[in-house]
This record gives sequence, C-alpha cells and structure tokens, in this order.
Amino acid sequence: MSSRPPILSALACNLDADILAAALPLLEAGQVEAIEWSFDTLYWAEQVPDWFLALLQAYGSQQRLLGHGVYFSLLSGRWTSEQQQWLQQLRQLAARFSFAHITEHFGFFTGQNFHHGAPLPIPYSASTLRLGRDRLGRIAEACRCPVGLENLAFAYSLEEVKRHGEFLNQLVEPVNGFIILDLHNLYCQLHNFEADYDELIKLYPLDRVREIHISGGSWENSALEPTRRIRRDTHDEAVPDEVFDLLARTLPKCPHLKYVVLEQLGNALKTEDSRAQFGRDFGRMAALVQQHPAPLLGRPERSFQPQWSSQPGAAAQDSRLHEQQQQLSGILETALSFEEVQQRLRASALANTDWAIEHWAPHMLETARSIAQKWKK
Amino acid sequence: MKLPKTLLGAIAVGVAVQATTSCGSKKNDPTPKEEQAGKTTQQGGTKTPINCPACGLG
Repeated sequence: MSSRPPILSALACNLDADILAAALPLLEAGQVEAIEWSFDTLYWAEQVPDWFLALLQAYGSQQRLLGHGVYFSLLSGRWTSEQQQWLQQLRQLAARFSFAHITEHFGFFTGQNFHHGAPLPIPYSASTLRLGRDRLGRIAEACRCPVGLENLAFAYSLEEVKRHGEFLNQLVEPVNGFIILDLHNLYCQLHNFEADYDELIKLYPLDRVREIHISGGSWENSALEPTRRIRRDTHDEAVPDEVFDLLARTLPKCPHLKYVVLEQLGNALKTEDSRAQFGRDFGRMAALVQQHPAPLLGRPERSFQPQWSSQPGAAAQDSRLHEQQQQLSGILETALSFEEVQQRLRASALANTDWAIEHWAPHMLETARSIAQKWKK
Repeated sequence: MKLPKTLLGAIAVGVAVQATTSCGSKKNDPTPKEEQAGKTTQQGGTKTPINCPACGLG
C-alpha cells in the first residue's frame, strides 16, 4: 500500500494589504503550502499588480491555487446576466491560471443587486436541488476542474442544520464534486442550536470533504433573548480554541482531505498583535495537520474530476422561488422590528411552504434580519 | 512552498506602498462593500479593483 499526498496547510489570500502583510512572514518562511483566492471579489482590471498575478501563477503552477467564489449566488431562483458573466469570467480565469479546484457557497444572496447582500439558506426541495445541480454543472463546464460547495454557517432551524450535509451531498453528486467543511460554520451551528458534534458530523458526507476551513468570528447578543449569544461567522477574530479542537477531531474522519485553509478578513489584521496572532493560528493549524498524515489506505486517491453536460441548454429557473427570495430579502432588509418581520413573513408567499417559516427559531430569524441589513446596498 | 525571493520582495514592496486597497474599519464590524470611483459600468471606462470581503458575511 502507498500513502496519499500530505494534506496542505493553506491561507485565504486576496488582494488586500492587511491580509498580505500578515501572510508575508509565512510566505517568506515557505510555510504556506497553498493559497485560496476569492477570484470574484475583484473586478478584473488592468490595474491588478503584477506581483499579485505572479503570486497566483506561482501557486497555480504547482497545482496549489484554490479558487473560491463568493458572489455567484448558486441558489437564486432566477438566472441572471450577472451569473452568466460570472461564468464567462471564470472560464477566462481558468484558462489563465491553473486552479486545483473551484468552490462556491451554498445559498442565495439577499440584496437587490449583484455583489450586495449576504448568503442565506433555501428550502431543501426537489426544485432547489435541480437548480443547484444545474448551476454546479455550469461551473464545472466553465472551469474544467474539480468543483465543490461550502457548508453555510447560518440556518433557521435545527432540522435544517441536520439536513444540510446530505443536501450538499446530493447537490455535488452529479458533477462528482466535493465539500468544503467550514469548521467555524459548524461551530456556529453547534452553538446556535445547542447541537452535539458527534451526532452532527455523522450527517455530513465526510468522504467528499476535500477542503476544511477554519476561522474566527464574533458574538452578538440576542435582543429577543437577553441571556442568549449568537455565534456569527464574521471572520474578524482569531480562531477560537473550540475550532482548533473541532479540527483535531475532524481531520481523521476525512479520508480524501487535501487542503486546510485559514481565513481572516483584512480589516481584522491591521495591528501587529492581530498579525502575530494570525501567524500563531496558522502555525497551530499546520501542526495539527502534520500530526494527521494522509492515511495508508487501499483505496485510490479521490480526484473529484468533474463531470458536466456538453450541452447544458437553458439555465434552470424557478420563478416562484425567485419571488419568495425577493420577498424574503425585502422583508429582512426593510423591517423595522422583529415583530414586523414575523408579521410580514406570515402574510408573504413563504407562508405554509417548503420554507417552513413557521418553524424558524426566533433568535435565528432575528439574526437573518441583522445580516441582511448589515449588507444591503 | 518556497517562493522566489524576487517575488517575495515585490510583494513586500507592494504591501508597503499600499498598492492594494483593503476593506474595513471597525473591529467586529466588517464594513459593507464600497464602490470605488472609476468602477466600470455600462458606460465603459477603466475598471478599478474592488476588494470586497470574501466570506465572513454571516
């Protein structure tokens, strides 16, 4: 039997002075084994510095450049010209850089315009499954490399949390895709729904986990329940000990894991202290990764090479879902109080549907309103 | 992974002269995306890189 390639310790690295300043000592020491680039957060232009392009090329030439989309809005009910343009840009980027794989986020974006809003979940239904599979097939066709999907931090109910892993599995199956298991997102759900890790992790398709994310976040007090704190996935603090613990417990469970990525926003890396902590977090992550070498297994390495339709045809759409998403976004973005959110939702097209708004946890609906209002245009 | 010294030097210079833009101001409050002047529109013109927060939106 032979061993698989080792798991690579990586950084989320974008064109951001603060992220790059924090990452530079690690890059100089040769410790960053791969980088993940959110390619769609940058409006492509001739003004991108040559050195940043060279950095992308350097990792791409070694098959260590990961592409991580943010704004595709995979599960929007309506197909838009912006999504078509996103695919075209991906096709161009994939021709220019050698991405090891491309990933996106689960959910649909609130907000009235492309590039605004934040991702929120959708019902798990035959229709949304069809939509998501259609979108993933188009991503696979555009990039011609393995395609994956990241789990979402936010959920409205414990039932939704429990079904999330299996729905992700069903979404990626037709493209032979994989999962990014974001452990801070999992941590948010474990806390916000008082769930048990050992029970929840079993519900994920761990044989499809090719990448793990770790990051920090923040706490927000619930106005509805004064003794409750909500864990938010804001990427603006150091990685908590609890997330490192989740990493140690999860590494052995993922037989096809290839990358572990540290994420942090640049706006939280402006001080020497925060950058030093970032370096320590990376070192701690890398040490855990090195303690769990690729296992000796009889099964071949799973490459997740994509499958896609050669003639995808017209994009799948769901006008009813689109209308519901528009109403939900509008209510969350404009309601002046939690009570108003509840009242308007009960009178909306989401009532008594697969959305199951009647079973949404109040503290999470409150959080959805907070998220939508923070990120609206 | 080792990177060429010339590349590392170029990154260091680029970061030092703040050739990039970065989002954000307050701690624990990632700022919403901003549109910089000169961003291309249907009118054409020069595109300017916009650095939006990647993930961390929840």
